[in-house]
Amino acid sequence: MTTSTTLAAPPATKAKSAKAAKPPPWRRRLDVAARGVAAIFLGYLFAALTTAVLARVLPGPRAEASMAATLLSFAVYASVAVWAFADAKTWRVWLGLTAGSGLLAAILWLSLTLEPRL
Amino acid sequence: MNGSFRQSMAWLHTWTGLVFGWVLFAMFMTGTATYFRPEITRWMEPETGPPASYGATANAAVAHLSKVAPKAKSWSITLPDERQGVTRVSWQPERKPGEERPRRRGRGQNQATLDAATGEVVKARDTRGGEFFYRFHFQLHYMPVIFGRWMAGLCAMFMLVAIVSGVITHKRIFKDFFTFRPKKTAQRSWLDAHNLTAVLALPFHAMITYTGLVTLMGLYMPWGVQANYKSDQAYFAEVFPQSEEIPRSGVAAPLAPLPLILHKASDAWGGGRPWIVNVSNPGDATARVEVTRHSGDKLSYRGGSLTFDGVTGAMISESPKAGPVNVTGGAMYGLHMGRFADPVLRWFYFLASLAGCAMVATGLVLWTVKRRQQLPDPEKPYFGFRLVERLNIGTIAGVPAGMAAMLWANRLLPVEMAGRSAWEVNAVFVGWGGMILWATLRPTRKAWVETLSAAAFLVAALPFVSALTTQRNLARSLMTGDWAMLAFDLTLFALGGLLAFCAWKAARYTAPVKPKRRAAKLAEEPA
Repeated sequence: MTTSTTLAAPPATKAKSAKAAKPPPWRRRLDVAARGVAAIFLGYLFAALTTAVLARVLPGPRAEASMAATLLSFAVYASVAVWAFADAKTWRVWLGLTAGSGLLAAILWLSLTLEPRL
Repeated sequence: MNGSFRQSMAWLHTWTGLVFGWVLFAMFMTGTATYFRPEITRWMEPETGPPASYGATANAAVAHLSKVAPKAKSWSITLPDERQGVTRVSWQPERKPGEERPRRRGRGQNQATLDAATGEVVKARDTRGGEFFYRFHFQLHYMPVIFGRWMAGLCAMFMLVAIVSGVITHKRIFKDFFTFRPKKTAQRSWLDAHNLTAVLALPFHAMITYTGLVTLMGLYMPWGVQANYKSDQAYFAEVFPQSEEIPRSGVAAPLAPLPLILHKASDAWGGGRPWIVNVSNPGDATARVEVTRHSGDKLSYRGGSLTFDGVTGAMISESPKAGPVNVTGGAMYGLHMGRFADPVLRWFYFLASLAGCAMVATGLVLWTVKRRQQLPDPEKPYFGFRLVERLNIGTIAGVPAGMAAMLWANRLLPVEMAGRSAWEVNAVFVGWGGMILWATLRPTRKAWVETLSAAAFLVAALPFVSALTTQRNLARSLMTGDWAMLAFDLTLFALGGLLAFCAWKAARYTAPVKPKRRAAKLAEEPA
């Protein structure tokens, strides 16, 4: 959508900087694929764990906590997916999502051990 | 990603939008039609009468069920309302000892359709009616239901991401609201059209996408429930407690008059309408009558239910009040379904939803318009470009054509034909597939003009087809004051006119002359 604005830049510098900054096509594809996998699969894992943890820790009756966590889950998933493509560094996305998921999984495990499901 | 935040969002918006754009367009179109699901069903069952109030039909429904299934395990009665002219009754036979719970039966078994006014059995043609568009828009077709629902959920998730990234892309979102430059270059005009349809109804698009995910959240995100409950059953037992099954006592006792029970239910709801009536152990001393409130009564889709003693007619229990968060969930569900909307609001729903279709369609077209100017040789585009272009034409014209084809099939297929309703559904995909095929065989411009014209004809001719084959026609609707069916025919004309207008614009369209300087520069920078 922004091509028209970028086109307005002076042609010479545009071409030069684009050439200097542009990685080879395969790198770009790999990058997109890595972000796509992170957004879809790690993003789902992260959103699912967030939902489960929120359902455990939110105050109020458990039917309410479960519902609140589930209603929020899609916002979490969408935000994570957007971030996966917004961050300048792909490795940071992967690290953030795996570390975050690991942390959430630990909290969930602890919570389930302390107070089992009914 | 490389480049600024906004650039990467623009990239994300472009590609998430494209990948599922075609399926999303079909989902949006059928979902839009679903706001008039009862009206579509009425149109497709021309044997049925005008809408009626529920009061008169309750006794007729009980009389019919007492005749055909006096010893049934349970009866279910869906009462008519101001949009539906029939009472739908069904029953479940008593299970023999040791017999498994029966599988869900297809339509046609153990059920009947009764005229709301007379209570007589209506032999309506075999059709899925508006139900098909409703089902398709969240579970597609020709594939296992669960798979289709996951596909639809994935599309909705992509849509949500496309909306978020699209909003971020538009720094001038408020200004875009007032920007439409139809005389500018093609790309500008398409971009403006895309922005206009998107921004105009943005709150609606965001709401409908999010609440759409919420309607199937139990499938997509079961982990909130899984974290607190050992099983789904444990959760449902707590949130929607079912009265336990009582075995028949064997002592015969007449059913309390149903109108009386409905009256009591309505009173208990402060004038709310009863909608679905479930009678368990009819004709027995242990009979129970559960009355569910009409989904159009309140914003929340879960209207709740009341249980009555089937013999004395006394109220026994009320479904438990949900907590505030669960009410919120129900309200989100209700917002998506739009059943609470009165006719004026329903039309706004319809128009906003049509804007959603236009948003997806213009977005898809924009993808090709933007790239066409950058093609090294516009006469010979690369394969991916041609694929997108053909699928765009075949889908944007094909989905409305396919939906119209279903209504054509509804009128033209022999009433007694075996597998009739399945063939009506096949007609949708014959129409859609035919348009894609047509689009691949013709040059771009001709393909647009011809497929859109064909779609316009298929839609706008429907009132005539109906008038020639059934009792449903404009004059009759006008004379009997059947405003819903009158509006149905007029809407078909309007939609046909809209498609014809698109065809006309496509025919008059002149491709902008590509400035040489720009072309040279663009060639260096593939998108």
